[in-house]
Amino acid sequence: MRRFALRSVALSSAILVGAALAGTRPQYGGNLRVETHIVPTSLDPADSTQPESVARANMTALLFDTLIVLDAQGRSRPSLASSWQVEPGNQRWTFNLRPGAKFHDGSAVTPDAVAASLRVANPTWSVLASSGAVVIERDSPSPELPYELARSRNSIVKRDGVKIFGTGPFRVQSFTPGRHLTLVANEDSWAGRPYVDSVDIDFGRSGRDQLIALDAGRIDVAEVTPDQTSRAASMNRPTLSSAPIELFELSFLRDPTSTDDKTLRLALALSIDRASIRRVILQSSGESTAALLPNWISGYAFVFPSGQNLALARQKRAEAKTARTLSLAFDSSDPFVELVAERVILNAKDAGITMQTTTSATPDLRLIHIPLDTVTARVALTELTSQAGLPNPRLANVSADALYQAESAALQTQRMIPLFYVPARYALAPQVRDAKLSITGSPRLADVWIGAPAR
Amino acid sequence: MSERPSRLVSRSKRPGWKTWEHSEPCSGTLAMNSHWGNAIYTQGIHDMPAFAPVLRWHVFILVFIMILGWTVVGFAADWVQPEQQLARGIVAVTGPGAVTFDLQNMSSLSKKDVDEVTHGIRQQLEAAGVRLVGADQSAATVNVKLSENLQSYVWVSEIHQGTNEPVVVIVSVARSETPGSLHESAPLSIHKTPLWAQEDRILDVAVFEEMSGQSHLAVLSSEQVALFRFQEGRWQLDQAMPIAHSRPWPRDERGRIILRADHLFDVYLPGVFCQTSKTAPIVLTCHESDDPWPLSADPGLNAFFAPTRNFFTGVLTPGVGKQNSTAKFYSAAPISRSNYTLWLFSAVDGSQRLLDGITEQTARWDWGSDLASINSPCGLGEQILASGRDGGSNDSIRAYEFADRDPTAVSAPVEFSGTITALWTEAKGKSAVAVTHNGQTGSYEAFRLTISCSQ
Repeated sequence: MRRFALRSVALSSAILVGAALAGTRPQYGGNLRVETHIVPTSLDPADSTQPESVARANMTALLFDTLIVLDAQGRSRPSLASSWQVEPGNQRWTFNLRPGAKFHDGSAVTPDAVAASLRVANPTWSVLASSGAVVIERDSPSPELPYELARSRNSIVKRDGVKIFGTGPFRVQSFTPGRHLTLVANEDSWAGRPYVDSVDIDFGRSGRDQLIALDAGRIDVAEVTPDQTSRAASMNRPTLSSAPIELFELSFLRDPTSTDDKTLRLALALSIDRASIRRVILQSSGESTAALLPNWISGYAFVFPSGQNLALARQKRAEAKTARTLSLAFDSSDPFVELVAERVILNAKDAGITMQTTTSATPDLRLIHIPLDTVTARVALTELTSQAGLPNPRLANVSADALYQAESAALQTQRMIPLFYVPARYALAPQVRDAKLSITGSPRLADVWIGAPAR
Repeated sequence: MSERPSRLVSRSKRPGWKTWEHSEPCSGTLAMNSHWGNAIYTQGIHDMPAFAPVLRWHVFILVFIMILGWTVVGFAADWVQPEQQLARGIVAVTGPGAVTFDLQNMSSLSKKDVDEVTHGIRQQLEAAGVRLVGADQSAATVNVKLSENLQSYVWVSEIHQGTNEPVVVIVSVARSETPGSLHESAPLSIHKTPLWAQEDRILDVAVFEEMSGQSHLAVLSSEQVALFRFQEGRWQLDQAMPIAHSRPWPRDERGRIILRADHLFDVYLPGVFCQTSKTAPIVLTCHESDDPWPLSADPGLNAFFAPTRNFFTGVLTPGVGKQNSTAKFYSAAPISRSNYTLWLFSAVDGSQRLLDGITEQTARWDWGSDLASINSPCGLGEQILASGRDGGSNDSIRAYEFADRDPTAVSAPVEFSGTITALWTEAKGKSAVAVTHNGQTGSYEAFRLTISCSQ
């Protein structure tokens, strides 16, 4: 019987493993050197052409603030909004802005600026500027709106032509799209100046290259991709790890077109040996899942069986007489994703299903990964179904049972085959102090400081 | 004797503990709804009566006895409602009749609670006409798994009837925080008495009495000083006095309350000085100020604080003998000598500086950043409390004596659940206030530290 070590995972999602250090106060100064695998061509959090990822959310959090943040327990807490109220019915919300907050260009954070920013990110919302506040009116009850506003995409941005300005702990000194970003401390940050003077971020670095750079002392913070888990462990560096926060899934572009199509998709789902993929490719990190929401958010993910059933998969494949070859697309620039895709194709082959890789824009299915930037079950489920092109889930009420029914209904569309959840993980140089993760897996670099290497 | 300042959350129905309740014992819905239900958020006031404070020995003893009694009795958790709810859901599927029942715990519930819940569900099923029998006699099999998510216990029942797809019934139970177990008194000379806890950062706490004996508590946070009166067995908010300031606070904000004879108190904050009025009603007046902060009441050394940082600049006034500066430092403590005062500074560079009025000596003792001196009837009569970290991410405080210029540890380290964010000597010099940021709950917790003679 497996117990979920939830309290330790969820209540302090960050796990810091490192050398013991004297309990010293943070020190100012220094440059933090970071590498990441993403290749952003824009820093705008609302730019939908940039792929969503934990790494992108990490970068956004350095430059921008949201009205509300999630604390280590997943509760909503004030950020650029110092307080808020909702009127009966949960449709009209008023968010009072923090006085004195400034954008990086020195201008004040006004209700007009905040309203304009939220309208760009959410064109269907009614957002009004009020005296010292913004008012958001929704068409339907939105009790979870504060959690929506804590999402990275709802970061507050001042747009001035092609220039964008945030209020975050760092401001941009230079940005070479897809290659490099240099940030400097925002002396006027409403939350206090960050401890380090600057942050240098190199883009497009593989997980393997990042660990090599960390080992050589060239960088201070490296992402640990799942396929580098063992290597990172062997380096004996301090590491940070979140709860499983990023879903890998097979996503079909269209609804099933026939009974045979449905049966074939069922056969594919049954054929996948998640346990082996997790053990071999994920190097035992993360968790296998056939659910959309991770168990630490839903509490019932285990109800959806994730084990391989090859016999039943073959039987279903045989029933799908008119089934054809399935084309699978994936991000071939990511070696980890490529490994998973190859394994899925092999598993499918064992069940008699023919799959082939494609670079077509309209494949039958894609291997994708979706980071959760919320820990609110309903918001997360809405995001996951939305990414699959499904309508928003309808919940009869706000009970766990209703959530389960909605998730079951989404899975029954056979548009998605969840594979596994992986945590956000980072390896650190020993001089990086007080590194902690947000509950959604972002390292809070504004709170990091650089000390002498631990003895 | 020392007890952990956990947020005391009781789900028992005994009177007198109502104010400690943090969440509803049973909602039957996802616990996030409790947040939604409390969506009106106003910073700083929402969670004031977090746990019972203690100021004088008789109050302390009373509270201790209450805590002890509460701990001994354990949590009389009310599982009846969710047990009923789950049983009703099961019976709605199976109807009355013969059922095989099995339960697995996958949550952090204690064995005692699991036994209680198992018994309760079985009882509720039987009351609804279900006969619990062996597998060979049953028409249905009910597998209950006690799981949990971020906010709730989630009880999942899978009901198998014949070859039908299993039916899932889910009930969630809002989870209160587990109170800390009462630590046994260790043979230590540092006593740790909880004073106050809250979500917002605590910079300092002062306890004082009126002539009438009425006890008051002043809690200094970033944006206000909250004054409480001890009445009807608990602290009740008298007055919250906002702190006016124009510049953002430093990220590692610090502040002090200094009790005064001719008015209630002064408040020192980075770049800001506040003073209470001399007559009722009490008004707090703040203005920007670079005035030095008092390092001690006696012998009256003051030091300038860097207004945008977390340290003292090193400039002293009126100085230690002929010395009117030292390295930038975080904290300082005097050590009385027969004909002079030796001052100990915790420098920003991690060293310790000793100033005797003529010479400056540098040492490296692997201490943390925070120091405070304390008078006691033990040993040399004066001890230095110093923060440190012995392992993991929790800080500790240990007492030292200085027979000459080198410290001798005279107590075992007393551990805290998190990092020390403030350590100040209290007005009478016989105790110190330590504030910690609890890494698990996210709350700030203030303690009074006193020294008693070891056996």
